[in-house]
Amino acid sequence: MGAEKLERELYLSKGGGKMRKRIFLFLMVAILMMGLIGFSSVRAAEKLAKEQVLNIAFDAGDVQTLDPHRSATTVDRSTVDPIFNGLVRYPPGNQVKVEPDLAKSWKVSKDGKVWTFTLRKGVYFHPFPGYPNGHELTSEDVVYSLKRAADPKRSSYAGEYVGMTFEAVDPYTVKITIERPISETLFLAKVSNYAGGFIVSKKAIEEKGDEWAKTHPVGTGPFMFESYEPRQKTALVANNKYFRGTPIIKQLVIRYMASVSSREFGLQTGELQIIEGLKEEKWVEKVGAFQGVTIKSFGPCETQMFYFNMTKKPFDDMKVRKAVSYAISREEVAAFMGKSLAAPIYSAALAPPSPGALTKEDALKGGVVYENNMTEAKTLLAEAGYPNGFKTEVIISEMESSYRKPMIAIQAQLKKVGIDMELKVVDHSSFHSLIRQDASPIVYYAAWRPNVDVFLTRFYYSESTVVTGKKPDTNFSHYAGIDDLIEKARWELNSAKQNALWKEAQIKVLRDVAAVPIIRLMYNFPMKSYVDLGHPLEWSWETYSPQITEKTRILAK
Amino acid sequence: MFNYVIRRFLQSIPILLVVLTLVFIVVRVLPGDPAVAALGDYASKEAVNALREKMGLNAPLWLQYLRFLGDLCQGKLGTSIITGYPVGTQLLKVLPYSLELTFSAILLGFLFGIPLGISAAVRRNSFIDYFNRIFSLTGLSIPAFYLGILLMLVFSIKFRLFPVVGGGDLSNLSSNLRHLFLPALSLGLIMTAYVTRMTRSSLLNILREDYIRTARSKGISEWVVLLKHALRNALIPIVALGGVYAVVLIGSSVMTEIVFSRPGLGSLMVGAIKQRDYTTLQSVMVFYSVIVVILNLMTDLVYGLIDPRIQYR
Repeated sequence: MGAEKLERELYLSKGGGKMRKRIFLFLMVAILMMGLIGFSSVRAAEKLAKEQVLNIAFDAGDVQTLDPHRSATTVDRSTVDPIFNGLVRYPPGNQVKVEPDLAKSWKVSKDGKVWTFTLRKGVYFHPFPGYPNGHELTSEDVVYSLKRAADPKRSSYAGEYVGMTFEAVDPYTVKITIERPISETLFLAKVSNYAGGFIVSKKAIEEKGDEWAKTHPVGTGPFMFESYEPRQKTALVANNKYFRGTPIIKQLVIRYMASVSSREFGLQTGELQIIEGLKEEKWVEKVGAFQGVTIKSFGPCETQMFYFNMTKKPFDDMKVRKAVSYAISREEVAAFMGKSLAAPIYSAALAPPSPGALTKEDALKGGVVYENNMTEAKTLLAEAGYPNGFKTEVIISEMESSYRKPMIAIQAQLKKVGIDMELKVVDHSSFHSLIRQDASPIVYYAAWRPNVDVFLTRFYYSESTVVTGKKPDTNFSHYAGIDDLIEKARWELNSAKQNALWKEAQIKVLRDVAAVPIIRLMYNFPMKSYVDLGHPLEWSWETYSPQITEKTRILAK
Repeated sequence: MFNYVIRRFLQSIPILLVVLTLVFIVVRVLPGDPAVAALGDYASKEAVNALREKMGLNAPLWLQYLRFLGDLCQGKLGTSIITGYPVGTQLLKVLPYSLELTFSAILLGFLFGIPLGISAAVRRNSFIDYFNRIFSLTGLSIPAFYLGILLMLVFSIKFRLFPVVGGGDLSNLSSNLRHLFLPALSLGLIMTAYVTRMTRSSLLNILREDYIRTARSKGISEWVVLLKHALRNALIPIVALGGVYAVVLIGSSVMTEIVFSRPGLGSLMVGAIKQRDYTTLQSVMVFYSVIVVILNLMTDLVYGLIDPRIQYR
């Protein structure tokens, strides 16, 4: 037996030596090949500056639609933003007051019902099949576009344009007639470079159809659509005929990358220049420490609100609602989310400095700040008949920063007064369906809307009540207490008076404790330090992401 | 043999039908509306309804099912209810990426796994055997996406050797290979772990057989004994399990594609689930099922090649 073994070993070792040498050689060749193949993967700033190609990665799986009258997701809005213009626009990066865009001037009639816009001359649409040089924008396109935006069958934003008529007076003049006069802020928002206000090409859509428009956007903006690779990226190229000047960036690539670690790595290797960030303090700290990366948090932020279904026990009792509110500490939730991103809010609608948003001072003056008072909470609960608290089951979305994480903090706070709020976590899509079916007694919702009127209407107007309302929307509270105030404010022409009415409405909402405002969360988009956006990034109202304009460029250093 | 292949295909049709029906039902039973997912929470109720109508979602369920089957029989994979692009085109675009990833991972698995397994079996209880056992255990336990991220950290971040984003340009071989290397390596290493384990144990069993002792006693060199007699017999269970692991690998490739932002069937499918894109999801499932059927068939055919006792009529 032993001899056999020895013999076998001898045979093997003879062949084994050769084999070992072969393996060694193979490994060496493999390593060499790896090195050669992988060598030029590094993207240097100089190379990028020569090519002027900007890669921006979003937390998204794919595009939904590039039809600007339908685009709703962050990534889609950010894609159509550089492709289209509106009659007026908010200056990039600092978006509080409008300036001329496709219209160079405008005026309103004495009775406030007729707005007249004078269009810029020499603005050209991007080329499309049949029109290799595009075609000039005229009032025909503007009227067609606005009519389309007003059509509920073709636009998700038709609600903004109810009761409006559009007329092309001459090739460069457009007249818009409204039934009732509204303030300048509210009106101009509807024709700004956002949602229904984006102007599309009449010829392109009439000849090619709406379905085609979904995947082939034709606008007048600094960048035009070049190609789309499903689930991977959409590429835009510079529009050399742009009326504000030829863009410095030659190609803008929007990438769909749902994995945050992939986006991070891409930023580090330089394959990506701008990425959508995570709304988490620790992550912001980590990425901020990367070499060659700047990270800037900007507004206007989503507001996160805690809505009670006031028709479901025990939340039909105001004492219970107040008790819950007293048990919550906004400061603690904000600290939990991260001080650099989150801050407490006291407004029932948008966060300040939105016109008409309730500030902390306003709320304190109105006596509607209920927070940080455990004893008061317990007293109220006892008065309501729940001395030992109660149990409730709440549906929440799996999305971390905007939904799950803050609710976990609130859950812990409520536990301290005996309220056991069980959280049922579902995927984001299901969450949106379920809450609109009134499936949860409490709804935690993160949202941003273009102005206070829209916010109040969608969340607190009686017709917007989920399921049972005349026009069901997102009124999760089943609230009906400020219908008259909303309408009064909407038709108020004086901005100061309008803001005052909006604040009054919010104070009423809070006094009735239909909802508890919690925090506002800022956005952050880490970018390589050699990216120069061409504008200060303070607020990015409409696109939730830094706007890419004709002035954006990649610096050589 | 040809008859056998045809018969196998025909036999798999009922299985495919069951899989498809299950997918059809499950996807629609889930809460979550594709129209809401498509338009976002910002859209009005009218807009959502209008889109549902267009997507054909307001039709009765049995009608949707029949339409779906009807389209399939005509070879039409439908259009994505979210993007409006034909699913067939999308599939064809990403298929080369998936195929090259799967193929290279399987290739790497066998290329590294078999020699490693052999050396472990032959030098039982030596250093290489212990290394092999630890390596294969690690490979079996480590999740594919984690390994992918680790490799990214080392080779792309630390050493800047390989890109981390995308699948590269198919028309440019160098770009293609550069983007393929790390994903293929992460899946390949896991496949290696499976294969080497199987090879080792299978070979050890064979080497104890009488006919091996006979062969040795005939004076044949150990290498010939190993490669010509032992390995050929050992390959049968290796190939069998290799086929099974290859299917598992296709499942793991989904995470790898997501981590490396690589186009492929996996990310196509996950994206479709998230967006409740019923048509894309159904069609990708059809495709996956067909691939699994083909893989199983190929495994069986390879048996026939290795084992002369097996004949397919």
